[in-house]
Amino acid sequence: MTGDLLQGLLQAIQPASLAATGAGCLLGMVAGMIPGMTISAAMIIVLPLTFVLDPNVSIGLFLGLYAGGMLGGSFSAILLNIPGTPSAAATALDGYPLVARGQAGRALGMAVSASFCGGLFSALCLFLIAPRLADLALQFRSADLFSLVFLGLTIICSFASRSWIKGLLSAVIGLAIVTVGQDPVMGTARFTFGDPNLLSGVHFLTALIGLFAIPQLIENLRGNGLGGAIGPGVTGSPDSPRSPGGRGGAAPAAGAIELRKLLPAFADLRRIRLPMGIGSAVGAFLGILPGAGGPIAAFISYDYAKKATGRGDRFGQGAVEGVAAPEAANNAVTGGALIPMMTLGIPGDPVTAILIGALLAHGLAPGPLLFVERADFAYGLMFSFFWANVFNLLIALAGLRLLVKVVAAPRTLLMPAVAILCVVGAWSLRNSIFDVYVMFGFGLLGLAMKWLDMPVVPLLLALVLGRQLEENLRIALTGSQGDVSVFFTSPFSALFLGLAVVSVAWSIVGARRQRAPTAER
Amino acid sequence: MSGGHRNLAAGLVLLAVGIGYGLATAQLPDRTLPDTPGPAFFPWLIAIGLIGLSAALSVRGLIAFRQRVAVVAGYRLPHRGWLALGGFAAYLLLLPFAGFLFASVPFCGGLVALYGERRPIITLAAAILIPLTLFLVFNTGFQALLPRGAWL
Repeated sequence: MTGDLLQGLLQAIQPASLAATGAGCLLGMVAGMIPGMTISAAMIIVLPLTFVLDPNVSIGLFLGLYAGGMLGGSFSAILLNIPGTPSAAATALDGYPLVARGQAGRALGMAVSASFCGGLFSALCLFLIAPRLADLALQFRSADLFSLVFLGLTIICSFASRSWIKGLLSAVIGLAIVTVGQDPVMGTARFTFGDPNLLSGVHFLTALIGLFAIPQLIENLRGNGLGGAIGPGVTGSPDSPRSPGGRGGAAPAAGAIELRKLLPAFADLRRIRLPMGIGSAVGAFLGILPGAGGPIAAFISYDYAKKATGRGDRFGQGAVEGVAAPEAANNAVTGGALIPMMTLGIPGDPVTAILIGALLAHGLAPGPLLFVERADFAYGLMFSFFWANVFNLLIALAGLRLLVKVVAAPRTLLMPAVAILCVVGAWSLRNSIFDVYVMFGFGLLGLAMKWLDMPVVPLLLALVLGRQLEENLRIALTGSQGDVSVFFTSPFSALFLGLAVVSVAWSIVGARRQRAPTAER
Repeated sequence: MSGGHRNLAAGLVLLAVGIGYGLATAQLPDRTLPDTPGPAFFPWLIAIGLIGLSAALSVRGLIAFRQRVAVVAGYRLPHRGWLALGGFAAYLLLLPFAGFLFASVPFCGGLVALYGERRPIITLAAAILIPLTLFLVFNTGFQALLPRGAWL
């Protein structure tokens, strides 16, 4: 293990890996700051680049994007009251009032410090928990693995709260797509209609590019997406009025974001100790749970910090604790989500689903065997995640003034480049025009699902997990001669099925609480 | 189109897809041992789920339609979105024949204009420079072979 650990460290500190991690952080921050651009979309855009890179370098780039995107989302939330990512929504509650009081640097400094703390805490959790969980997972048999994948699929419930039928339909469509090609047990060709292109099935990443990028490209044609979203607010004078739709107050000026002001005062650091701790713990824990994700962790941490600090009356009016808690939480989620992804091959959110796809494209299958067959890579990934958080801090402190200007890049040039990159990405997977057409087909499917108000994430999860689900189900049933009790007699399997029931029940209760008393659309 | 109409239309289309999927599943070879699931086992589960859920969506849509549930302002493709999709389809059809560079230039120029660029020189420059840059980065820099084009 020590040898693998050392090897992983060496891989992560190679100049190419460090450069890729830093570049990923930078790109992630820019993408996170652009309202309407998701971390998933940014990952898909850089995907074609990674096919030609070494896996260690690629994963550094992706982890940088993941961590940087989370932090970048909070910058636009603080500066403009427009969360760049859903996870940053809670940060805006107190971040923007601080900006309105002319304390943009202080708010951003709190966000950067808390994100760093949350990220480091989750990196520590990753180091401590992942290898042990992988050891345990090696004992799993087919029935356990089926139940585990089934538990992973219950994430769907979190994304289907608006309409169970549509959420489940989305997942079933994904499972149907997975069945195209050779079956995972016997290799029988299914639904290929004699076309050799379909024998190897639909590549997950091809589907992903189409589903995420094309609807995003079309959406940005509305004119409310990217162009100059941040630019005017940042480059205006300190006294310039807030853009319509905000909560009033002055927009920040570039001059207000000075490095000196970004460094948090000692008194502030003392004040945010507890909220940061709460956010880090809640974020890392919820990150491990499938489907919970950054937005939930951020709001729960905000709520806990509000109660625990004894300064709840100041929350919502520009309390630094109200910035620190959600920021620590949403960055801690990233490390937490990597734990089930690496050890069990179960994605906790769409971003980790893309990471799984990217690793598979490099011939690396996330799961317990990753720690056996490529332990050096697994530890390298953990070290890269650590470096991603360090780079986040350094880049944010050193280059924030420049970053907010970069974001004002014209949409007229950015979006066409993204469109062509989608084609390059789909083509590069197998150098096949068929994949490019499939990508476009999935783009149309994504638009149709949007038109129908059907969530895309269940389909995405089904594409990631469907093959494992079928394979383990069939192997388990073959081993038990068709006896389904095998799923209930194995302790692990019974535990996972029990947790799946709890997960579904939790989602139902949560959805009922949230749902407005209107009929389902 | 109201939410009810959409659900009904989508439910019926998916129902047809589910039935088609079920029929295709029935054609799958059944090479398996007794009491063990074969290649058609999982697709059958999916077919049942797809048919059941799409029937439920159709019924829900029909109920909403008959009860004249208030029209919900749903997602609408922007007008320029149709043009972009048409352009994208034409680009993909042209790609295997004209190759990456020559197919991408008009597509990129069209998109730059669709996204609101009104200056012809900028549009022209972007139409050439964006595909050229990507071509150089991937084809030359990363040795990734982009479509060369049957006509070239």
